[in-house]
Amino acid sequence: MAAIAGQPTRKTPWRAAIRDARLWLLLLAAVLTLVDGYLIFVVAPTDAVLGHIQRIFYIHVPISILSFLGFLLCAIAGIGYLIRRGESWDRLAHASAEVGVVFVTLALITGVIWARPVWGVWWTWEPRLTTTLILWFIYVAYLMIRQYAPTPQQGRVWSAVVGIIGFVDVPIVYYSVQWWRSIHPVQVIGPEAADDALEPIMARILIFSLVATLALFGYLLLERMALRKTEDTLAQLRRDANSD
Amino acid sequence: MQSENYTDQPGETIAPYLEADAGEERSGWRSHRVRLGILAGVIALAVAYMAYAAFPGNTLYFVTVSEFVDDTRLHDGQTLRVAGALSPDSFRREDGSAVSRFALGDKEPDVPGIAAGSPEMAASYVGVLPDLFFNPHSEIILEGSYDGQNEVFVTDNILVKCPSKYQSLQAENPDVVPGAAVPQGGY
Repeated sequence: MAAIAGQPTRKTPWRAAIRDARLWLLLLAAVLTLVDGYLIFVVAPTDAVLGHIQRIFYIHVPISILSFLGFLLCAIAGIGYLIRRGESWDRLAHASAEVGVVFVTLALITGVIWARPVWGVWWTWEPRLTTTLILWFIYVAYLMIRQYAPTPQQGRVWSAVVGIIGFVDVPIVYYSVQWWRSIHPVQVIGPEAADDALEPIMARILIFSLVATLALFGYLLLERMALRKTEDTLAQLRRDANSD
Repeated sequence: MQSENYTDQPGETIAPYLEADAGEERSGWRSHRVRLGILAGVIALAVAYMAYAAFPGNTLYFVTVSEFVDDTRLHDGQTLRVAGALSPDSFRREDGSAVSRFALGDKEPDVPGIAAGSPEMAASYVGVLPDLFFNPHSEIILEGSYDGQNEVFVTDNILVKCPSKYQSLQAENPDVVPGAAVPQGGY
C-alpha cells in the first residue's frame, strides 16, 4: 500500500492516512466477520420457535440498519453538495448511495431466504417488504439519474435532490411494522424496540454483528470514495487531452 | 474524435449542421431532458402505484377473525386475508387426504392459543401446511375467500407470522441438549 521506494510521491500525509485507514478497516472487518461467524453459528443459542433459521437474523438486521445509514449519509452529503458544491460532498453521496443499495439488496435477499421456511412464502406484498422494495427502487433510480443526466454536473444536482427526498422512505420502512398490520416482526433494535425482545446473549451478538458489519460498511465506503476520486482524475485527464 | 470528423468537412457546411444539432438537443423529443423526464415519470408512476397498492390506507394487509365475522360485506366471496390463531383441537384431516379443516380464533399478542371469548371461523385448505402451523405462538394468516353456502373460508395460501421476541431453546426447554433436533417442527 505504501508508495514504491525511491519513487517521488505527491500524496499528502492526509491522503496517506486515509489509505492506511482503508487497509486497517479491511483487516478489522475481516477479523470481526470471522469472529462474528463463530458467534452466530456456534455461540448463539438456537431459537425456541424458529430454530436454526433464526440465526440469519444476526446478518439480516445489521445490513438492513446499515443500508439506512448509507441513505442517511447520502441525504446529508446531498444537502452538503447543494449548499457547498464541493466534489468531496458528491463523492460521499455517490459512494454511500452505492453501498446503501448493495446493503438493501442483501437485506431483501436474506429476508426472502428467511421468509420462505418461516412464513411459508418467499415474498408477500405487506407494508415492511413493499416499503423496502420502494427504497431499493428510489436509490437505484438515484444511481441511474447520475448516469442519464446530460452533463455530470446536472447528474450531481438532480441525484442529490433524489437522495434527499428519497430518504423520507427510510423512517417509513422503520415504522411500517408499527403503523400498519404486517407479517414482519416489530423492531428488536432502535427507539421502538421492546426491552425484552431479545435474550441478553442474543442482544450482545447482534451488537457485535452490527460493529463487524459497520467495519465492512466503512471500508466499502472509503474504497468507493477513493475509486470515485480516481475516476474523476481520469475524466479530468481525458478532458485536458481532448482540449489540447 | 468528434472534432477530427468535422475538420474533414469544408468549414462553411459544418456550421448549419452544428447549429441544427444544438437546436434539436434543446427542443426535440429525443433530447436528454425529455427522455429523462419520461424516465422520471415512469419511475414516479411505478412507485406511486406500488405505494397505492400496498399502503393500508387503501387496504389492510389482513383482517382479524372477529372483524371478519362481524363484517358480512366480506362474506361475498372476495379474496382477502384473515389472521388469527389455530383453535385448539379444531384441526381435522382424513388419512390419505390433502384436505385440512380447522378453525381460527382471534390472537392476542404474545399469548399462545386463541383469545378468551373470541368468535371462530371455519376454514379449509388443500396442500402442504407450513412448518410452524401448529406452533401455539404462531399467528396464522389465510389468503382466500369465504364460501357462504358451506360457511367455510376456502384458503388458497397459508402464511405464518411469528412472535417478535426471540428466545433460546435452552431458556424455554432447559432439558434440551444444545444442537439437538428442534421440537415442534422448527428448523
